[in-house]
Amino acid sequence: MELHINGKSYEVHAEPDTPLLWVIRDELGLTGTKYGCGLAQCGACSVLIDGVVARACVLPVAGVVGRQITTIEGVEADPVGRRVVDAWVRHQVPQCGYCQSGQVMAATALLRETPHPSDEQISAAMVNLCRCGTYNAIRAAIHEVAGQAGKSSTALNEAAGAEDTGRAQA
Amino acid sequence: MIRNRTRVLTTLLAAGLVVACGVAWYVTRTPASPFDGAPAPQTPPAAAIQRGEYIARLSDCVACHSTPDGAPFAGGLEMATPLGSIFSTNITPDVKTGIGSYSLADFDRALRHGVARDGHRLYPAMPYPSYARFSDDDVQALYAYFVHGVQPVEQANRPTGIASPLNQRWPLALWNAVFTDGRSYQPKADGDALWNRGAYIVQGPGHCGSCHTPRGLAMNEKALDESSPQYLAGALLDGWYAPSLRGDVNTGLGRWSEQDIVQFLRSGRNAHAVVFGSMADAFNNSTQFMSDEDLRAVARYLKSLPGNPARDGAAWQYTAAAGTPPHPDAQTFMTRCAACHGPDGRGQGQWIPPLAGSAASMAHENASSINVTLNGSARVVADGIPDAYRMPPFRNQLSDQEVADVLSYVRTTWGNRGGAVKPEEVKALRERTNPASSNVIILQMR
Amino acid sequence: MNHTPDAPALEADEEGFPTGDPANISRRRFLTSSAGVAAGAFVLGVGLPVGEARAARAAAAPMPAGTRVPAFLEIRPDNSIRFQSPFVEGGQGIFTAMAQIVGEELDADPSTFIVENAPAGNDYKVLSIGMRITGGSMSVRLSYPTMRRLGALARQMLLEAGARQLRVPVSELTTEPGRVVHAASKRSVTYGQLAGVAMDLPVPAPDSVKLKDPAQFRWIGKPVQRLDVHDKSTGKAVYAIDCRVDGMLHAAVQHAPRLGQTVGGIRNEAQVKAMKGVHSVHRLPGAVAVVAERWWDARRAAEALQVDWKAPAADSTARVMPADFSTKALAAQLERMPGPGENAENVGNTEAALKAAHKQVSATYHSQFVHHAQIEPPSALARFNADGTLEVWLPNQAPELFQGDIAKRTGLAPEKIIIHSPLLGGFFGRHFLYDGGTVYPQAIALAKAVGRPVKVIWSREEEFLRDPVRPMAVVRFRAGLDANGFPVALEAESVTEGPTEGIANKRGDKMDPTALEGIAGKAYAIPNHRIAQVYAKQHATLAYWRSVGNSMNDFIYESFLDELADAGGKDPFELRLHLLQGNARLTNLLRAVGELSGGWKRGPYIAADGTRRARGVAMASPFGTEVAAIAEVSIEQGQVRVHEIWEAIDPGSIVNPAIIEAQVNGAVALGLSQVLLEEAVYEKGMPLARNYDMYPILPLARMPRVHVRIIESGAKMGGIGEPPLPPVPPAVANAVAHLTGQRVRSMPLSRHVFKS
Ligand code: FES
Ligand code: FES
Repeated sequence: MELHINGKSYEVHAEPDTPLLWVIRDELGLTGTKYGCGLAQCGACSVLIDGVVARACVLPVAGVVGRQITTIEGVEADPVGRRVVDAWVRHQVPQCGYCQSGQVMAATALLRETPHPSDEQISAAMVNLCRCGTYNAIRAAIHEVAGQAGKSSTALNEAAGAEDTGRAQA
Repeated sequence: MIRNRTRVLTTLLAAGLVVACGVAWYVTRTPASPFDGAPAPQTPPAAAIQRGEYIARLSDCVACHSTPDGAPFAGGLEMATPLGSIFSTNITPDVKTGIGSYSLADFDRALRHGVARDGHRLYPAMPYPSYARFSDDDVQALYAYFVHGVQPVEQANRPTGIASPLNQRWPLALWNAVFTDGRSYQPKADGDALWNRGAYIVQGPGHCGSCHTPRGLAMNEKALDESSPQYLAGALLDGWYAPSLRGDVNTGLGRWSEQDIVQFLRSGRNAHAVVFGSMADAFNNSTQFMSDEDLRAVARYLKSLPGNPARDGAAWQYTAAAGTPPHPDAQTFMTRCAACHGPDGRGQGQWIPPLAGSAASMAHENASSINVTLNGSARVVADGIPDAYRMPPFRNQLSDQEVADVLSYVRTTWGNRGGAVKPEEVKALRERTNPASSNVIILQMR
Repeated sequence: MNHTPDAPALEADEEGFPTGDPANISRRRFLTSSAGVAAGAFVLGVGLPVGEARAARAAAAPMPAGTRVPAFLEIRPDNSIRFQSPFVEGGQGIFTAMAQIVGEELDADPSTFIVENAPAGNDYKVLSIGMRITGGSMSVRLSYPTMRRLGALARQMLLEAGARQLRVPVSELTTEPGRVVHAASKRSVTYGQLAGVAMDLPVPAPDSVKLKDPAQFRWIGKPVQRLDVHDKSTGKAVYAIDCRVDGMLHAAVQHAPRLGQTVGGIRNEAQVKAMKGVHSVHRLPGAVAVVAERWWDARRAAEALQVDWKAPAADSTARVMPADFSTKALAAQLERMPGPGENAENVGNTEAALKAAHKQVSATYHSQFVHHAQIEPPSALARFNADGTLEVWLPNQAPELFQGDIAKRTGLAPEKIIIHSPLLGGFFGRHFLYDGGTVYPQAIALAKAVGRPVKVIWSREEEFLRDPVRPMAVVRFRAGLDANGFPVALEAESVTEGPTEGIANKRGDKMDPTALEGIAGKAYAIPNHRIAQVYAKQHATLAYWRSVGNSMNDFIYESFLDELADAGGKDPFELRLHLLQGNARLTNLLRAVGELSGGWKRGPYIAADGTRRARGVAMASPFGTEVAAIAEVSIEQGQVRVHEIWEAIDPGSIVNPAIIEAQVNGAVALGLSQVLLEEAVYEKGMPLARNYDMYPILPLARMPRVHVRIIESGAKMGGIGEPPLPPVPPAVANAVAHLTGQRVRSMPLSRHVFKS
């Protein structure tokens, strides 16, 4: 089977029903995509298939042959993904970080589809679980990318800096 | 594990009505068996026991007469009815608590006529109206298996939780008289051997009609063979809608080839569907063990049953969902369902079933759609290997309204015509059903 | 395997199995990548501290923990600083905090730090209580002076080295970030240039260095950016589950349904052994493992095993789970168990005061089992080396503890056991030593059995089966109010088993403080009170959970306190102020949260969006920190919706306000998750939920806005990771009770349908 991942081709040998997750983690060594539940419940394994977010733990590998797979390792090659990562850093989103590969992929997919999502759209789309509770930072980072779509990166930095000073201090 | 057998209630009530014209001698008489007076059989050859075991597989005895952590065939499975629970019985050859003292004729009377050795009538949760179709040979083989191939286990039967006087069993005799014909299968001259074998399995040991044939007012199966268009035309039972097994293109097997049917019964899945609900039990414990020949026979027979276009409607055609996302309910679909069933509802090959065009999404009855969403599905274990992908229960995550919304979307998109689901319907099913276990449950026969 | 020329180089090892070079970890690669350095960026400095630490231990008299600079610091020619953290990073930001603290005194920018988890060793037992554990929100507060001093000692060594290099007296030298400066001659040398000499100098006497005046702090107290955020946003961070070594096999297990059961027979062993990719099948204590070339194959085979499980031996001393155990029955049993129990606090004469009280109030509260549910499932990788050492990669909160345990299990000397502590994909108390709840004994046994390194991953289902849970408690309250409606007597009997008691599987000589914290140790001035524990064993394995006893007990106590307020006709905010009279710190804290919320108002009122809302307040004093929270809620389709959380936190003094704010957000999420959604239900000795499907945790859509106020009262430094959690559940419950008139005395609230 030949897989197209992050713009490269890989020949893999796996049973057709093996989840893509385990092929990319164990066979290709791309461990940025995480295992959390194996049941499409947590989103830690989120990848993009032809630009649409999917959960690699429930994708039989045979079904993704010939399609464009983007994993977290390739997210910065995507212009939207790149902005999402930047916003993630500026908002210091990750805590333990384990869910964040999936969060970044889900956010990238959302913003590719809906460049200016409302709060409701973010709530509806971002169903990946984060046990560390980074949700507000995720929301803020997505809003930032949405609000800044098209602006220069300097403007982005300034906006982020301004938000950071909004912290309450006694 | 508790199975709802609400039909028992209705059965009892209906039987009560019929009693008005009851005849006491009739209800207490012991039906005749061709094996009456036959000498006690000797230890049968191993091949006969093996054949009996195979027939036990065809008949799925283990599913009802065992519990996941109990000994094989020792009974004790609870089936809830509104009148109280009933429990399946010990059918191991234990003399004290099982069927060790049953003669072949006694065994035959229980199997084909629903009368226990002491003369009491079995509840028709035991599918004796179907088992009546058994050939004498198969009865003998099954007897050989249960007497010589099953370990005796001393485990007393649990009394039913049904209180007096509703626990009277004699009215069932009258029900039997009206609704069962008690005749073993007679081959049809216009069908070939394969077809006849299929008819025998489907009507007899396979007792497919118990779930798939609609029932009458007295909870009787409306038909017991292909002579009626009602036979295997789809039925609502215990919170699941068992779809039509006839040639209906939308809600039946009209789009399935014989090979599709064989594959489904052998491996639990094909490109159209994956077993779920009660069918997962039937698959895990019974159909996958059928021989290739028998599976082909079943497929041949089922494919000979014509559909009912008047009821089933025009053939389903895939229609892409309008816009993205088309309406708010699509959001729940996209985030909860699409990862497995595909954003386009088409599923993933034989591994994860399509929702587009599926019988459950096309059927007007929505119980299966709701039930599987709330409760997920039992693990499908094919050839001893549990499924790679399972349907999780969503009852702890989605409200009645959310389930109703997402199912309304699923059942009206991609050309599906099942129709909307109301939150009240979700609520009702939620209250009387339990989530499927995520444990791999393999009922042992030895 | 083919790949295009520019694909990452994937090499095949001798088994023909691709090791996937990008993720392959030599020890060094592993360490650098776990610290967030791109592979290959490693530059040799003064050598691996591990080796030195070991050498030093063998040598002369040991130095006090946290003073032997070379065990912690390696300064590289490019001025980057590799730092061995005594604490594990699991999302709490400790690597960054350590860089700030050490960097402050060392005078080096925290952003130049590359932080890794230190190996096991006495040098790293830097907590003032003489040990090393990442937990109890202790890391910073109990190592702060030590870690500052460590930075100062290193700076002193660099100054000495600078003096030699520049040939001037030390007294003429100062430092600027990353360099030693001789102001008089306007010369300076970078730390990187000095490191080679400096690290060979003797470490100065620990008390010879003077610490900075906090007023001069450059980084401590500032929202310094975290060091690991980019790696964690791009999948580069390495967790235990990602670790991989050459020749490694994968393993999955099927656990016995109930703890204590042992393997009887395996019905289909031959069939499973013949499954694709399966290397071997192994019987382990309470589990059967399948070893395979790939984890997925191992997992499917492990699920396929048809094991006959035997009941535990009658004389088993280990904790066993009875076949008929259910949480429902346990709750009923706890309710029935009579008092008076053992007193943790007995002040005044509670019984007499209750009798004399103008009004009596009583109520019974429950807490539930909850899972840690960290998103990273547990895993461990074990490798026996030719030199007789055993290396284990495992998620852990206390390397020496695990090293000792492994020594006990394997008979190896502790120094032969090398512990690697990768980043934790969340822990919340999950990665302490829990008998039956840890993976590494399995990995070690399997590596030994197959003669190759083995990594075991527990599937989520196996994890929820063995995850030790927070205890259940039934707390019976009686209280008395005086004629003015103020509480004068309070009695609380908690029928429970503390997590520490549960882990020890027996009652200790002293009471387990983690059983009652949050009910005991309250600051409210109630003149007569008796707080007691009735010990009740719970069968399930028990664990610490974020905020430990406080996470459940503050819900219970602070909810009941609102009941007292209502019974006495008092506003709950005012009642708290009244009971805290004379306590300036807490009065200030409570006022601060009120102010933060725009002034205390209880409601109900109609919000701008038309929803009917109310607010609740609660306080807690966990882990040396003081917290107060206000929650605003409404009811939406019968379920609680939390709109806002305002929280004021006073940890005395702080290191990084941005991290604190993130921790408050995280703690709010977990607190809400447990009060709104979570309960681990057991039936027939097994948890009903084996994955997130049946054990939902808080999703983004239910996260409220969180407003944080940090107060630096100057009191002794308290914890950060756990303290923000406990006031959240009761603040929500109090708001809901006021809004709906329904007082719910157990969690989660999702079990109830509310009318607004
Ligand atoms: S691991 Fe795929 S969704 Fe959780
Ligand atoms: S950052 Fe830890 S789970 Fe999301």
